[in-house]
Amino acid sequence: MARLAQNLDAIDLEIRWTRLVTIMDEVDAAVARTSFSTIVGESRDFGVVMLDSQGRSLAQSQLSTPAFTVTLPMTAKHLLRACPVETLRPGDVLITNDPWLGSGHLPDMTIITPVFHRGKVAGFIGCVAHISDIGGRSDYLDDKELFEEGLRIPPTFLMRDGEPVEVLFDILAANVRVPRLVIGDIRALVGAEALGARRLLEFLADYDMDVLDSLADVILARSETAMDEAIRSLPDGVYHAEMDADGHRHPIHIAVTATIADGRVTVDFEGSSDEQHDSSINCVMNTTFSDTYYPFKCSLLPGVPNNEGLSRFLTVKAPKGSIFNVNFPRAVRARSKSSFHIHAVLYEALAPILGQRVQAASGSFWTLVASGTGTDGELYRAHMLPNGGKGAVTAMDGLATIAFPYNGMITPVEIFENAAPVLIGCRELIADSGGAGQYRGGLGQRITFEPIGPNPLTVFVRPDKLRHPPAGLLGGLPGRAGEILVNGKPTPPEPTTLQSGDVLELRLPGGGGFGQPSARAGERLKADLESGYVSSEASRQLYQLQVE
Amino acid sequence: MASRYRLGFDVGGTFTDFMLVDQETGTTFLNKCLTTPDDPSRGVMDGLLPLLDRAGVGGDDVDIAIHATTLITNALIERKGARTALLTTQGFRDVLEMGTEVRYDIYDLFLQKPELLVPRSRRYEVTERLDKDGKVLTALDEDGVRAVAQQLREDGAQALAIVFLHAFRNAAHELRAAEIIAEELPDLTVSISSAVAPEIREYERMSTTTANAYVQPITRAYIDTIQRRLREMGYPRNLYLMISSGGIAGGQTAKDFPIRMLESGPTAGVLAGIHYGRQMGIGSLVTFDMGGTTAKIALVKNYEAAKSNVFEVGRVARFKKGSGLPVKVPMVELIEIGAGGGSIAHVDQLGLLKVGPLSAGADPGPACYGRGGSLPTVTDANLVLGYYDPNFFLGGAMSLDVEAARKALETQLGGVLGLSAEQCARGIYEVVTQNMLAATKVHIAERGEDPRKFFLFAFGGAGPAHAYELARLLHMRGVIVPAGAGATSAAGLVTAAVSFDYARSLLGRLDRLPWEEVRRVFDAMAEEGLQVLEGAGVARDAPGVVVKHQMDLRHKGQGHEVTVTVPADVIADGQIDRIAEIFYATHREKYGHAHENLPLELVTCRTTVGAAAPEIPMKRLPEATETADVAQKGTRPAYFGELGRFVETPVYDRYALRPGMLLRGPAIVEERECTVVAGPSAGLRIDAFGNLFIDLDEAPIAESKEARNVETERA
Repeated sequence: MARLAQNLDAIDLEIRWTRLVTIMDEVDAAVARTSFSTIVGESRDFGVVMLDSQGRSLAQSQLSTPAFTVTLPMTAKHLLRACPVETLRPGDVLITNDPWLGSGHLPDMTIITPVFHRGKVAGFIGCVAHISDIGGRSDYLDDKELFEEGLRIPPTFLMRDGEPVEVLFDILAANVRVPRLVIGDIRALVGAEALGARRLLEFLADYDMDVLDSLADVILARSETAMDEAIRSLPDGVYHAEMDADGHRHPIHIAVTATIADGRVTVDFEGSSDEQHDSSINCVMNTTFSDTYYPFKCSLLPGVPNNEGLSRFLTVKAPKGSIFNVNFPRAVRARSKSSFHIHAVLYEALAPILGQRVQAASGSFWTLVASGTGTDGELYRAHMLPNGGKGAVTAMDGLATIAFPYNGMITPVEIFENAAPVLIGCRELIADSGGAGQYRGGLGQRITFEPIGPNPLTVFVRPDKLRHPPAGLLGGLPGRAGEILVNGKPTPPEPTTLQSGDVLELRLPGGGGFGQPSARAGERLKADLESGYVSSEASRQLYQLQVE
Repeated sequence: MASRYRLGFDVGGTFTDFMLVDQETGTTFLNKCLTTPDDPSRGVMDGLLPLLDRAGVGGDDVDIAIHATTLITNALIERKGARTALLTTQGFRDVLEMGTEVRYDIYDLFLQKPELLVPRSRRYEVTERLDKDGKVLTALDEDGVRAVAQQLREDGAQALAIVFLHAFRNAAHELRAAEIIAEELPDLTVSISSAVAPEIREYERMSTTTANAYVQPITRAYIDTIQRRLREMGYPRNLYLMISSGGIAGGQTAKDFPIRMLESGPTAGVLAGIHYGRQMGIGSLVTFDMGGTTAKIALVKNYEAAKSNVFEVGRVARFKKGSGLPVKVPMVELIEIGAGGGSIAHVDQLGLLKVGPLSAGADPGPACYGRGGSLPTVTDANLVLGYYDPNFFLGGAMSLDVEAARKALETQLGGVLGLSAEQCARGIYEVVTQNMLAATKVHIAERGEDPRKFFLFAFGGAGPAHAYELARLLHMRGVIVPAGAGATSAAGLVTAAVSFDYARSLLGRLDRLPWEEVRRVFDAMAEEGLQVLEGAGVARDAPGVVVKHQMDLRHKGQGHEVTVTVPADVIADGQIDRIAEIFYATHREKYGHAHENLPLELVTCRTTVGAAAPEIPMKRLPEATETADVAQKGTRPAYFGELGRFVETPVYDRYALRPGMLLRGPAIVEERECTVVAGPSAGLRIDAFGNLFIDLDEAPIAESKEARNVETERA
């Protein structure tokens, strides 16, 4: 097989790699279309990755959630430590949701299917997906220990010899709120992986290959080289930034020190907050690593299909027991309330050397869950994940209301109103919410909800950036902070019961601005005024526009 | 007999193609002329008059004139539509701008969204509200609508889209608002969402209705002009237009729903494939239309084109799903790949050879055109590989510069990759073929089909040069290059039938929906369709009239639906168990599993009403009395991947090939608009209608009618 690796030229490699990415796009489409969880199907909180027989990632779908594509190969290696590759048999499927081995919280299920070819494991098709429910408390922000957060499945077999491990399915079903949907999600993932396995077998047969490993060697090596060149093009040095974020009960502090030397980058979170004992916003090391890698990928090699070779340049350190390297059994469910700020702090630190390729902080997503009993006596539970505005970049204003750094679709108003007895009064952009700058931050949005019908409605909102708005960059101002109002009054992010006549209003934050507001071009200002993205008052105050 | 001719004309980006066919004898007359973008009707007349002259036919002898056009697609892509406004429910005007909130590229910090058709300053709101079942929660503020009309007048708006929440369940507010606007502004064209795209999901419905409004004024004027020109020429009947779902519709329908004419030309190409397939007894085809910038692929099963219910117009990141404006209309499903003759090859950051999606277009075009292009393209590669004759491109109308092609390959790619011009050319051919292969494979697989059951129906300028390799790698049954491949879309037009598709969302658990309402929705759509047929002179009980019902269903809790066809009696009798069986079977076939313990949810009802396709015979050609040698023009070296080298390859003149002639690959067959390339394991034959077949095994099948009986899967 070594011969194959050497002889693969720019043409053969391109063809084979493209085909592997195509296979994963097909698996991706199957997951999206057959899953039950809104968070998977509409919000796209999942990733699908192809691995070689050692668990190294070499191809992923183009829309996979970035963090998952980095954690999945880590998790796969843990699964293979527990269930060594030589003990696997055709028809086996492995599973875990252990946060420290996986992607950082229990709802993310990692499932991998070995692909047998010529009597041996040739590679794996893997998925990580945020499934509908994993038990535990509903108001999970206040979790103190992992044990409050639901069921933990250590690395084990989900299927053995093609048969489901019934006891595991039974335990899972017994620990979640709507077992049919959870089991439906799991089966959808297994089905999608089986599809990927069939496609991979066709690929191996077409090219007369035994395993994926030698191909992975070439892909990973080429990718590593390209990233190495990109890193070496940056000036060596030590770059530091700090930032505060909302946290849950109290603000958290994030400090990063990025050291670039000799083609390698070390990012150290020394100086960041300690792990939280009263909330679930802690990150395991896998999460910290993946969210630290992401901004480098976006800035340096956005067009190269992701794989493990691209992240080899990076070492991430965080003090044990800090919020970015949490000890078991601290709670981790709402980890992204911390990890989603990492890219922004890093961009702040690296802006002096990466100025054309960094982005101001974004509004990001909130979670809203409405639940209760309908007039037909049935329980319902409906999700919506609206987004704030995107941070500005050089030469471009931030886009309004779009996902960043994760990716996902907002549940349409008409679908949500069918899923819960709720009337959505408006969904509109908030003028002046985008951070002022030479390039303006993207606008956030305002959404109102009121129960219709006689029964009360319980609403759980998980916001962020209420106290610490998305930061601007290189002289750009922050976006407007978010707000949660009930009947016009600010309300803390606690589960709230709404009665008929109550109105809940979410105001999602705008993105940060980029560059000095005084440098904003006149025609951009004029266009903003005409469209009402910026009020005339704000344009006078923030941009010193002389309105005649 | 008078009026026995059918006329088809397709106004494409570069050429306008014509076909006139005698419905009784099958005799066809073709013409081709340059499109005149400033006034396409001029080009139509320029080509039409000489064609009728040549056929000795007057305008009155034409029974039906059928038209396809890129007008709508181009107006949307180039943003050349009307000054359009939007009127929507209070609180929701920004939905158009906020969209789905998804990023179509997860690593691109500089991601762009398509420019909006309606800027925020022309998006108006009015107080009104329906609930999810269409019940009125807040009455329409009629004075508010009148106030908006005043603003529209001041603003000089030319078109208006009205989109209210849940209007697909109850059109009353949209209809009333449109009525008020019509009273106030009788000249304004108005599109309402409950008529244009009555489906759930407000953003997609708003995007579709807005796009419809945006192209409505120009479409109206355009259709009137064409109709007038045809009348002046003596054609007294109605003009028909090709619609995206594969049927034809009268001028009024096209004016009301111009968005339904997106991609009408390429759709006609798929219909042509079906028509040829009928004559040959081949019902399973993959149509493959490869031109200058893109390749378009469609799946035909049992003489029916696969359809989809959503499309994207004008993707800003070329070919990236999600980067265009979503349009919810029933369409023949065309998979578009950024692979054409003009696609440019380059070396990426990892040192890999990539082809496309950037295209050199027609100007400057490939390096070998000698018009100043210096970047290597697919056409340059094909030339260096010996597939094209530098002196017989477009039938000799243009000569190609081999040295320029070679130089582009060497300087742009060869140096970096350490490969010769020939090796780079081989690489481009392989990569572009693989790109098409990957997309075709996924598309066929997503439909739960097996490529080994299909023939590849190849046309377009570059299609026949890549078809053999594509079909061989997919293990397909063979390749068909139709006679007259240069006017394939026009051939599809003359064979199309009146047909229209309807959709209405009706969300609810299948076992709890008031079945009366389900029945009423389907009956209403069928009735509307039958009336359209009658308007086109087809009686509702005419032979071959088909009413087909479909449902978009999902397991309750799923975010996506699967469209299944449901027999009319099953709907009439409310046989829910039968519907569930159909759904589970389809879901299992597509995804390998189904959850029979979960209740099902209906999302959207769909109905297609169509007339029978016209029976147009194809003209049989006399059998050859000589061998194919008489058609051989010469030989030239050409490269074949299967052999790994250049071999001296015979070159044939397509116009000298006669039915019954057999050729062995490798072979090159040249015609004016395209070149057929067949590798060493090909057997070529000409059928009774002049179509070229490429068989991919050793023994060619003697009679094409038998092809459908060949069940053996070729490895």
